[in-house]
Amino acid sequence: MGRNPGDLFIFIGKRLLQLIPVLIGVIILTFVCTHLKLQGLCNAVYPHASPGTIALCNAKYGAPLLTQFVQYITNLLQGNWGQSTLGVQVYPQIAADLPATIELVLAALFLMIVIGIPLGVIAAQYSGRWADHLVRIFYLSGWATPTYLGAVIAAVFIGPWLGLPTRGEYSTVVPPFHQYTHMSVVDAILAGNFPYTIDAISHLILPATVLAFINMGIATRMTRASMLEVLPLDYVRSARMKGLGEFWVMYKHALRNALITTTTVLGVTAGGLLAGTVVIEEVFDWPGIGQYAYDAIGGGGSTANFDGAIAVVIIFAIAVVIANLIADILYGVLDPRVDWR
Amino acid sequence: MTQPVLILDNLSVTYTVGAGTFYAVSDVSLEIEPGRVVGIVGETGCGKSTLAKAIPRLLPEPPATIGSGTIIFQGTDLVKVPKRKLPMVRGTGIGMIFQEPLNSLNPAYRVFDQIVESIRIRHYREMGWVKSFQGGPNPFDYSKPPDTTTVAGSLSKAIIPSGAAEEAVRDRLQTRSQYREEVLEYLRLVRINDPETILNLFPHELSGGMRQRIMIAMALSEKPALLIADEPTSALDVTIQAQVLTLMKELIDEVHASILFISHDLGVIAETADEVGVMYAGRIVEYGPVAEVFKDPRHPYTKALLKAAPAHYKSDGPLSSIAGSVPNLSRPPSGCRFHPRCVLARDVCRGVTPPLAPVDPNAPPGGRHIHRSACYFAAEVPGLP
Repeated sequence: MGRNPGDLFIFIGKRLLQLIPVLIGVIILTFVCTHLKLQGLCNAVYPHASPGTIALCNAKYGAPLLTQFVQYITNLLQGNWGQSTLGVQVYPQIAADLPATIELVLAALFLMIVIGIPLGVIAAQYSGRWADHLVRIFYLSGWATPTYLGAVIAAVFIGPWLGLPTRGEYSTVVPPFHQYTHMSVVDAILAGNFPYTIDAISHLILPATVLAFINMGIATRMTRASMLEVLPLDYVRSARMKGLGEFWVMYKHALRNALITTTTVLGVTAGGLLAGTVVIEEVFDWPGIGQYAYDAIGGGGSTANFDGAIAVVIIFAIAVVIANLIADILYGVLDPRVDWR
Repeated sequence: MTQPVLILDNLSVTYTVGAGTFYAVSDVSLEIEPGRVVGIVGETGCGKSTLAKAIPRLLPEPPATIGSGTIIFQGTDLVKVPKRKLPMVRGTGIGMIFQEPLNSLNPAYRVFDQIVESIRIRHYREMGWVKSFQGGPNPFDYSKPPDTTTVAGSLSKAIIPSGAAEEAVRDRLQTRSQYREEVLEYLRLVRINDPETILNLFPHELSGGMRQRIMIAMALSEKPALLIADEPTSALDVTIQAQVLTLMKELIDEVHASILFISHDLGVIAETADEVGVMYAGRIVEYGPVAEVFKDPRHPYTKALLKAAPAHYKSDGPLSSIAGSVPNLSRPPSGCRFHPRCVLARDVCRGVTPPLAPVDPNAPPGGRHIHRSACYFAAEVPGLP
């Protein structure tokens, strides 16, 4: 019995290998979807372009689908993520946008954990009583709020009312320091710029809160359900009989076991959150990958960017798989009965 | 005369399920004096476990309700203690060993963490860092000199904080390694051969008997004034049962403990307890010193129970059984609850519940350790063959 720490690395390695077929599938699907109906595309996209540009464009998008695909994969394997129809390189853009989204998602996840999970515990503790009903009203209203509506209400009413900024990462478009990570708060801290750290955090609050509020229900509901499963168990009774106060019984003994389920669900959700920020980023003008994805598929009147769209989908797929992997690892850490094999 | 650790006075516990009310425990009165072991015996569903859990107010309320009566623990009525103060009584005041060792340990924490938690609770209370229940000077008494001639005695020697050693014990409890030493001592106390290894294991890596030993160590490590053992052996295999029972008996001898021992096994009670209460359908029908009750039962139910016990493990015919079945506690029979199954039942038994009265009419009123029976015809109960 017992677990070997080495098993964990084998486990992670196996899971990362599983990523390969997933990625191949995702690339083929997205590529086919975006490139199927490209006849006459060049004329549509560049109505006023010179014949030379059109010819160049046709050289890229006029070839048979398979040829284009092989070309794309070859480039991708060489680290070339392609370029937009306007010729802008995809990779640097994504490298700058993805961290901003990750930051937003992590902030939302943080709020979901520190608010959503204790709310679930309270709901289970007082299940069937008014505290439980209040919590249910709270998370259901979040769940029932359409993202665009919640985001717009927050940006138009709540933000100005609380005096919180509603646009961008900083009050100035370009901060007076180098952005190493492209995560606004982290960069400000790295630069040792305290006012900008506060500024970055205050910019982060609204979008992160909206994202968290809308998705809070999952954390709260899962915690409540698994707490209700755990609370009647014998070891909770033993913990009480030890003389522990209700707080420790709930949070040290019961929640520790209830969290196993919640973590798994949160992991899956986290991957989804990354892809679900599109609307929120658009409303709050957050320079993240969601906004990039919105532009790449031609939203907001921009020109379509097929290589960009594929890249975004690949990133989302990787994010979902990695979020699941982290959830699986945490599952093993939280539950000593799980074997890493 | 010493003050009893626990006095139950007419305690009644009911469960409200849907529209029905179950009278699980009715008018139970009981006294446990320091250092004495009181056994409660009865068949499944007679309210033994409800009684055990009602004392530290461990029953979920609702559905359970303590309808009437008092639970005087070291001079305080636990029925009146507000819920948020109950943890102060538990652990160091009243300790408990449960029926289900398999699930009674938290699967997420190592054995060490779980025992050390108990020791910490006691330690903090001893030091006055956290509030604890101030009941009376009746802590779980380890001061009885250990019998070093037995293995058990020499093993338990280390944990005895006799008199001046009290201060030393407090100083010892400072760092993790010192806590570790104390945990090891308690694991040795419950006869775990390889405590160093066991310490780092998770509950799922241990057998049922092992887990029950750890539960016992955990309960003892808080040095409770009263220990409630709620069928500590019935969920275990027969061989393991014997081992754990031997351990319990040795521990009862070693530590000067006040114990309420709940069991459905007459043999177990006979071997461990000083006094025994026989429960039927939520009431104590007979109470008295173990030897008297088991040798000369004065209640038809006790007698039937003793006759039904496979005492000799010999093939002398089929085991006898009690005719009829256990009454539905949502509609208990009027009067004496045993009357529908009783051979001696007469009209008076159906009317008024017989009181738990001394068997010997000349017994001094209010005297302790007196054989009592709740039967109008106690004198007529035929003796055991």
